[in-house]
Amino acid sequence: MSGVRKVASAVALLAIVAVLSLGAAAGGMGPFFDGIRALGTFYLSTAPPQIAELVLGPSYRGLSSYSPEVVTSIVWDYRGLDTYFETAVFFLAIIGAVAIYRGIEEPVLRRPASGLSPIVRAVTKFLIPINIAVAASIALHGHLTPGGGFQAGAALAVAPVIVIVVFSRRYLLERGVTKLKALFLRSVGLIGIALVVLIPVIWSVLSGEWAWVMQNQWKPGAEVFSYPAYLGGALISGSIWFLNLFEFLAVSFGFTILFLLISIDEDTVRSCMIRGGEECDRY
Amino acid sequence: MIDIEVFIKTFIVLALFGTAGVGLYGVIAKPHATKKIISLTILGDTVNALAILLGYRYPGGIPPVYTGQPPNEFVGSAVDPLPQALVLTAIVIGMAVNLLIIYIALQTYRLYGTLDTRLIKKLRG
Repeated sequence: MSGVRKVASAVALLAIVAVLSLGAAAGGMGPFFDGIRALGTFYLSTAPPQIAELVLGPSYRGLSSYSPEVVTSIVWDYRGLDTYFETAVFFLAIIGAVAIYRGIEEPVLRRPASGLSPIVRAVTKFLIPINIAVAASIALHGHLTPGGGFQAGAALAVAPVIVIVVFSRRYLLERGVTKLKALFLRSVGLIGIALVVLIPVIWSVLSGEWAWVMQNQWKPGAEVFSYPAYLGGALISGSIWFLNLFEFLAVSFGFTILFLLISIDEDTVRSCMIRGGEECDRY
Repeated sequence: MIDIEVFIKTFIVLALFGTAGVGLYGVIAKPHATKKIISLTILGDTVNALAILLGYRYPGGIPPVYTGQPPNEFVGSAVDPLPQALVLTAIVIGMAVNLLIIYIALQTYRLYGTLDTRLIKKLRG
C-alpha cells in the first residue's frame, strides 16, 4: 500500500471514531450506566408471574408473559415478531448454503475412518452426551433460567463439529446424522414455530372470539384465548416453552447441516463440479 | 482530580469505537476476502458488545431473571433486558450469515482459484 493511502486510511479511521464519539457525547446513547430506559422498566415489572400476581392489578395482568426470565419473554412474547422474522433470515441463510452445495454428496468413503488418538476419542464419547444434556436443559428451562432456543441450538451444534474433528464425517453419517434427516428435523422445528404462532388465529376463526397472532397470555381486547401458563403445576409460560423447543430443533439442526456440508472432502467437491461423475448424487 | 469511574466509562466506549473503526477499515481496505470476513465478524461483535454495554447500569447490575426478591428491588437494580434480547438473536443470525458468506467465498475460490478481490475484479468470461 502506498504512503498516501496509508495516511488517508489512518485519517478515515480516526474520523470514524471521532464521529461516533461525537454522537455519544451528544447523548445519543441514552441513559448510560445511570438507570435504564422506560421500556426496560416496563418489561422488568410485568414479565415475571410472581410480580404479575402480587403487584399488578387484574386489568394489567394480561400484559404479563408469565416468564421470570425477562430476556426470553421479550424474545418470544413482547417482541415475538422480530424473532419470527429473524428465524426467517436464519432459514434463508441455510437454504442459500445448501443451494451452493446442491448435487454434491460424498460417496461411500474409500479409506477407513481413523480420527484422533484413543485418549481424545474416549474423552469425546463422554463429553458428547453431557453436551446434549446441557443443550436440552438450556432449551427446556429457557423460560426460568438464562437460556432459550437460540443458545441451546448453538450449544448443541458444537457436538457434530467435535465429532467431525475427533472421529470423522463418516462416523457421524454411520450413526444416522445425515443431511436429509437434519433438514427434516429443522423443518419440523420451523413448522412447529409457525403452528404455535398461528394457533390463536385458527382458534379465533373457529370460535368467533378475537385473538392476536403470536398471542401468549390473554391481552386487553382479546381476553378469552391464552396458552396455559402452568402445566401440571409446573410453570411453562404458555407458548414460550413450545417456541423455545421448536427453535432449539431448528437452530441446532440448521447448523448441523452447514457443518456437515462444509466438512465434505474438497477433492470430492471439485471432481463433482468438474466432471459430475457417477460418484456424485445428482438430484 | 480525575474521577476513576468517568475514566473507565470513557475508556471502554472509546475502545469499542476504535475496534468498530478497525473492523470497518478492514472490510473496506483489505483486498483479500478472508480478511474482509474476519473484519466483518470483528465489526459485528463490537456492535453487539456496545449494545450490551448500553443496557448496563452501575449501581445494581443484577441479571434480568426474577429470583424472588421484593419486586421494587428487582426492577430498581436489574439491567435493561431489551439490548440483551436483540443481541441474543443477532449473534445466532450473525453466525448463520457468516457461514453463508464463508460458503460463497469457498465457492468463489473453487471457481476462480483466488480470493484476492483485485484479481477477481480483472477476470473476464
